[in-house]
Amino acid sequence: MADAVRLDGITKRFPGVVANDDVTLEVERGSVHALLGENGAGKTTLMNVLYGLYQPEEGRVVVDGEEQSFESPGDAIDAGVGMIHQHFMLVDTMTVAENITLGNEPRKWGWLAVDREQARREVRELSERYGFAVEPDARIETVSVGVQQRVEILKALYRGADVLILDEPTAVLTPQEVEELLAVFEELTAAGKTVIFITHKLGEAMEAADEITVLRDGKNVGSVSADDTDREALAELMVGREVLMETDARPSDPGDETLCVDGLTVEDSRGVTVVDGVSFGVRAGEVFGIAGVDGNGQSELVEAITGLREPTAGRVDFEGRDVADWSRIDHIEAGMAYIPEDRQERGLVMDFDLVENGLLGSQHASAFAAGGRIDWDRARDHAEAVVEEYDVRPPDPDARSVSLSGGNQQKFIVGREFERDPSLLVATHPTRGVDIGSTEFINDRLLDLRNAGGAVLLVSSKLDEVQMLSDRLAVMHGGELMAVVDPDDVTEEELGLLMAGEEPSRSLSSLRLAGEES
Amino acid sequence: MSDARADGSPLADRFSKRTGITVAVGVLFVLLAGARLAFPDTIAGDLFAIVTDRTTLGAALRFAVPITLAALGGIFAEKSGVINIGLEGLLIISAFTAVYATDTIAGEGAATQAELWLGLLVGVVASTLLAGLFAVVCIEFRADQIIAGLAVWLIALGLAPFASQVVYDGPNTASVTTPATVTIPVLAEIPFFGALFDASPFVYLMFIAVGLSWYVLNRTAFGRHVRAAGENPKALDTAGVSVSRVRYAAVLLSGVLSGAGGGALALSIGQFTGNGATMVNGKGFIAIVTYLFGNYNPVGAFLSALLFAGLDALQFSLQTVGTGLPSSLVRVIPFVTVILVLALVGRTQIPEAAGDHYESGED
Repeated sequence: MADAVRLDGITKRFPGVVANDDVTLEVERGSVHALLGENGAGKTTLMNVLYGLYQPEEGRVVVDGEEQSFESPGDAIDAGVGMIHQHFMLVDTMTVAENITLGNEPRKWGWLAVDREQARREVRELSERYGFAVEPDARIETVSVGVQQRVEILKALYRGADVLILDEPTAVLTPQEVEELLAVFEELTAAGKTVIFITHKLGEAMEAADEITVLRDGKNVGSVSADDTDREALAELMVGREVLMETDARPSDPGDETLCVDGLTVEDSRGVTVVDGVSFGVRAGEVFGIAGVDGNGQSELVEAITGLREPTAGRVDFEGRDVADWSRIDHIEAGMAYIPEDRQERGLVMDFDLVENGLLGSQHASAFAAGGRIDWDRARDHAEAVVEEYDVRPPDPDARSVSLSGGNQQKFIVGREFERDPSLLVATHPTRGVDIGSTEFINDRLLDLRNAGGAVLLVSSKLDEVQMLSDRLAVMHGGELMAVVDPDDVTEEELGLLMAGEEPSRSLSSLRLAGEES
Repeated sequence: MSDARADGSPLADRFSKRTGITVAVGVLFVLLAGARLAFPDTIAGDLFAIVTDRTTLGAALRFAVPITLAALGGIFAEKSGVINIGLEGLLIISAFTAVYATDTIAGEGAATQAELWLGLLVGVVASTLLAGLFAVVCIEFRADQIIAGLAVWLIALGLAPFASQVVYDGPNTASVTTPATVTIPVLAEIPFFGALFDASPFVYLMFIAVGLSWYVLNRTAFGRHVRAAGENPKALDTAGVSVSRVRYAAVLLSGVLSGAGGGALALSIGQFTGNGATMVNGKGFIAIVTYLFGNYNPVGAFLSALLFAGLDALQFSLQTVGTGLPSSLVRVIPFVTVILVLALVGRTQIPEAAGDHYESGED
């Protein structure tokens, strides 16, 4: 039997980079195939080639035994290839049924009008056939991310897709939703569909896939059966060298409370309360983690602590002083460093070079600015020191931020913030979109800071990471802290329930650390 | 999702504000009626007489035609993601062209009704061509939509009076036939609302355009593609529909509708006057306000255009009655009211991707 998909020697170049270099990929019909690799390894590019968004410079695309040259996604859809992108391609203001039928609307009255009744019926039938609980008339903006993802899958199926490509499908899901998604994969393959999914998470690839192909630097470095491999071997393939899977974390030795948040209530820009009476403390020499699905108030909480957003109620005490209404620059000068969640939006000025970016936040500091002018020689020395010490590549302080890869941008920000010698570091998703090598490096620096007696507030939606790094771990849901738990004791399932806003069956009090007040 | 949570309240807010405005208008109306009965000779009494006069409604409908048609065009363009602030220019170019064409087709004698409609069609073609130019510049060459839109206005503002100067030796064209009023028997006799059934054919054209636009936007596949192109073009692209084709179609449609509006404006008077801001005099910009006020709903846009046009008709009547107020002050009543209403109603749901360029295959 012919493979469902066969990519043969695909090469795709972009100005200055070879995104895919002679990549060959074979995917068996009715199987789940994981495409594993670090960020920037060329996984998404390869799938965009298969989906007709990009045209390869070299190589052949064979679907179902027939060679294809897709000019557009429309061609790929016609050949039975559907793709679910990482950022959902849904129109928020339209209903589920409208989104699923978009571009393929059933018509009536001689094509004049959309047959909305038929659309609804077809969507309901399709959703029932695969056991999805999806309401055709719900508006996209009112349904959960998990449901939105199912809508995307239905959209592809509605168009007759036999091969489904999913780009980082689990990145936005809670652990329970991930379980549901894996069950969906089984339904799909049982119905003869073929699933290809992109991921950079080893565990997921091992669990969900039948076959795993690893990409590194745009090349296929190996295809293995999931049963015949282990995490260490995969990690080595991905990174190209041996990786220490566990960060060495010796027990913490916490001191006094550096940051004390009490009854903090914050509204978002639309005036909706998104942080509701949150209280916690972060002590010197510990990492306090906050886990949760994105959009549960973490961003606003961090903004209120770092002085980017004024809270509506409550206190933020930093080293004994209430800083809730201090300006941003006062926070920096008082010794609070901040790694923002969106490095390109908040962390760097993309058009500036590293010398200028290294100065951000220190533009008034006496070390760099005297008498109203900036000492550029010192600023350059500073940027060079950060680049060198934090292994930013290419090591060129004159490079503009935009020319750096995501991981290197992040390393530069981490370096800049650490160089402030902070007593508190607030880090939001410090390793989001960063490759394994840089992740390891950044996490080690966080622990170094903790071991040196600094306080770290770590907000992340990566469970394994926040669980590994934190000394105490809070879970945020719906603007409230669900519980503060011992990360070594709590299980991933219990965390998942807390992230979904539910109480685990085990009594939470037994999870709480001794001495925890709330 | 936090989006969903947040969306409930502003909607509720807007609803209560709308209700509030309706109540306020009602109360004002009752007060005026009382004033008319008690003091028939005061300004308030006159105002009531003007507001309830069928000629006011007739004038309001007539004034509303170009604004509504341009607003419908603006809705299609902006819903598809292209902000067309050049509506004013499209109105100007079609106003001149329609009159010029009618005059040319008619030759020596007075134009017949058929020739007048032919002239309107030529006006529509001219406006659509200009809109097409705008579309190419914005979609193909990725120009800034606001700047390109202003260029459309400035081009028309210069071109139309210039062409008039060349052809007619002055900024104003010759006069041509105006359309015959269509009177529906019996219904036209109804007090006040009879004005709806005793009107220029352009008024009926406007009603048809409003209904059709609503239907196309909300019930046809094309309308859905237009909305998707403006909300999330990538979703449409990945669904296999060409975003730029949808946007071209929508912008051309804005040219067609604005062309009908501009042609109707000039032909209902029988002349194009090109002094200063020309006879269009900001109607294209008011059209933008009305569709924002109507929250991109064709019916809403029509109603707010009618509100503005009604106030305009009112200020005309007030000027003839003589209120003792300087006429330049009276003339700004409609504009001030529209600004006030807009400020009170607040939020409109602007399409997510309006103003953004889109090219397939870009990240």
